[in-house]
Amino acid sequence: MAEQLLVAEGLGKTYGDVVTTVALSDVAFALERGEFASIVGQSGSGKSTLLNLIGLLDTPTTGSVSLDGKETTALGRSGRTRLRNELLGFVFQFHHLLPEFSVLENVVMPGLVGGGSEKALRPRAEEVLALLGLEGLEDKNANQLSGGQKQRVAIARALLNRPALVLADEPTGNLDTANTALVYELFRKVNAELGTAFLIVTHDRAVAQQTDRILEVSDGRLVQDVRNEFGAPSG
Amino acid sequence: MLSLRIAARFLRRSPVQSALIAAGIAVGIGVQVFLGSLIISLQQNLVDETIGSSPQVTVAAAEEGEPVTVTEAVRASLEGDDRVVAVVPVRTFSAIYRGDGASAPLQVVGGELGELDTIYDISGRTLKGAATLAGDDVLVGKEFAATNGLEPGDRAVFVLPDGAESRRTVAAVFDFGTAAANQTFAFVPATFAAEVLGHAPDQVTAVELQVADVFASVAVADDLRGDPALAGTTVSEWQSENEDLLSALQSQSTSSYTIQFFVLVAVALGIASTLAISAVQKTRQIGILKAMGMRDAKAGRIFLWQATLLGVTGAAAGVGVGLALIALFSRFAATFTIDPQWAFVALSFAVGVAVALLSSVIPSRRTSKLDPIEVIQGG
Ligand SMILES: Nc1ncnc2c1ncn2[C@@H]1O[C@H](COP(=O)(O)OP(=O)(O)OP(=O)(O)O)[C@@H](O)[C@H]1O
Ligand SMILES: [Mg+2]
Repeated sequence: MAEQLLVAEGLGKTYGDVVTTVALSDVAFALERGEFASIVGQSGSGKSTLLNLIGLLDTPTTGSVSLDGKETTALGRSGRTRLRNELLGFVFQFHHLLPEFSVLENVVMPGLVGGGSEKALRPRAEEVLALLGLEGLEDKNANQLSGGQKQRVAIARALLNRPALVLADEPTGNLDTANTALVYELFRKVNAELGTAFLIVTHDRAVAQQTDRILEVSDGRLVQDVRNEFGAPSG
Repeated sequence: MLSLRIAARFLRRSPVQSALIAAGIAVGIGVQVFLGSLIISLQQNLVDETIGSSPQVTVAAAEEGEPVTVTEAVRASLEGDDRVVAVVPVRTFSAIYRGDGASAPLQVVGGELGELDTIYDISGRTLKGAATLAGDDVLVGKEFAATNGLEPGDRAVFVLPDGAESRRTVAAVFDFGTAAANQTFAFVPATFAAEVLGHAPDQVTAVELQVADVFASVAVADDLRGDPALAGTTVSEWQSENEDLLSALQSQSTSSYTIQFFVLVAVALGIASTLAISAVQKTRQIGILKAMGMRDAKAGRIFLWQATLLGVTGAAAGVGVGLALIALFSRFAATFTIDPQWAFVALSFAVGVAVALLSSVIPSRRTSKLDPIEVIQGG
């Protein structure tokens, strides 16, 4: 497939009607399938805004986002909702697990939302849980896990529908260094084994250095877009 | 069905809160079932007491004082209507009882005991003596007998409309349940009444009817009025002579509806506020479900399902509470039996569920409108 996975053109977002904040302006870049990229920048520079626009969670004031060759600007709320389910996986700073459900149920949830049955989804969920080293936790309640485990379950959930692109906004913001290292290792592993593209927002340069491509946002503009030859996993 | 599953989980996650709303609905519907059944039974009881043991439709001669001739055709007409359960020809006249220095007016009814029983159940309500209507028998009421010191077997003197005196033997003393009826009515054999009134064997003062459903009497009377076999007669129904009772029943119903309405409003407000709180508590979950691709309508349905689950359990429990109250009340407090009114119970159940669903409209709307970005940005 020659087509780009993601194409952002002239992307801008202005908040507010009376007092306006230009959070993002004129951002353009493309992402290939299977890319492993990061977005860095100061606090308030517009990283989350950019990620939410790409993730179809927010609508741009200007410009357009194409995902998997589909122009999304013209899509309505339900069209975007459906694309999110089919193409994207989200990992946030907070795990956002559903405390009412077990680990396994949380992981199959995107599949259930997409219309699948739990029975059919179970093998895939177990596979993803195993990939993230969470075997044996299936029947625990989401509340009974450690912070690191919760975040890994959230990652497993993001991977269930085999998304083409995982968007992660400060996914390790609440984790200690050991867990942070583990999460990036897992991202890499998934990227390598499943070919899933990653776009990870971080304010941590050291983390960004481990990705293949670094996009830097400053004051709502994309100021740098560099390939990072040191990013490939050692070995 | 994912919405239902999530709804059930949300409810189970806060069992106390869920139980409290269900209990609220249960109390409301319980009061509803109890109060409704109480009022309906009370009214039926009142109607039975007042009208049950008296004719509900009366066919008399169009001209007052004239007899009605009960031909085969007339009987066939009256007995042919299957809403009519009793057809009792009677001969009535006024008389005065003359005791030692005291006298009392009486309404004397002449008829066949077997027929009279179908309306008045004299045999079943006999206190003393043996209810028979033959020869010189007369049956008198409890208070009348007490005031005048009469016992079965005693001889009593009556002054007839033409001024003649008649000596009769008290065969039995009955109790119709109301002092007024016991004071006023006396029963004599049909033949004796015919003699007093100068009636031929097929002539009577009136034909009294009872209908299966006392409130159907208006329709029955209307039909009889149009019956050619009954030409020359006048047909009246109990409603036209009991307007006070009817308006009392009406206002009782109205006040009961008012109470029930406000109970339902209270229940609705309770459910609505609790569901609204629940919707706010679950904002984070709804937001993340939407972020992963749950459609707005489906998300909104979560609260519709919560309301359905709460409504059905609460209303079912409410029916139980209502029936328990009815049983308790019938056992310890009531002087009459309260029958559970099943149609009303079913209606209350449906109303309970409907009120719950209605109360979920606002939280459902809210949930379906929620934008996932609000939750994602809120952290
Ligand atoms: N809903 C909003 N309404 C108004 N302004 C907003 C809104 N969301 C973000 N902003 C503003 O847009 C700018 C970019 O915010 P954004 O959240 O994208 O920054 P960020 O790079 O993710 O920062 P951080 O590293 O702290 O998460 C900020 O100035 C912020 O105040
Ligand atoms: Mg941010």
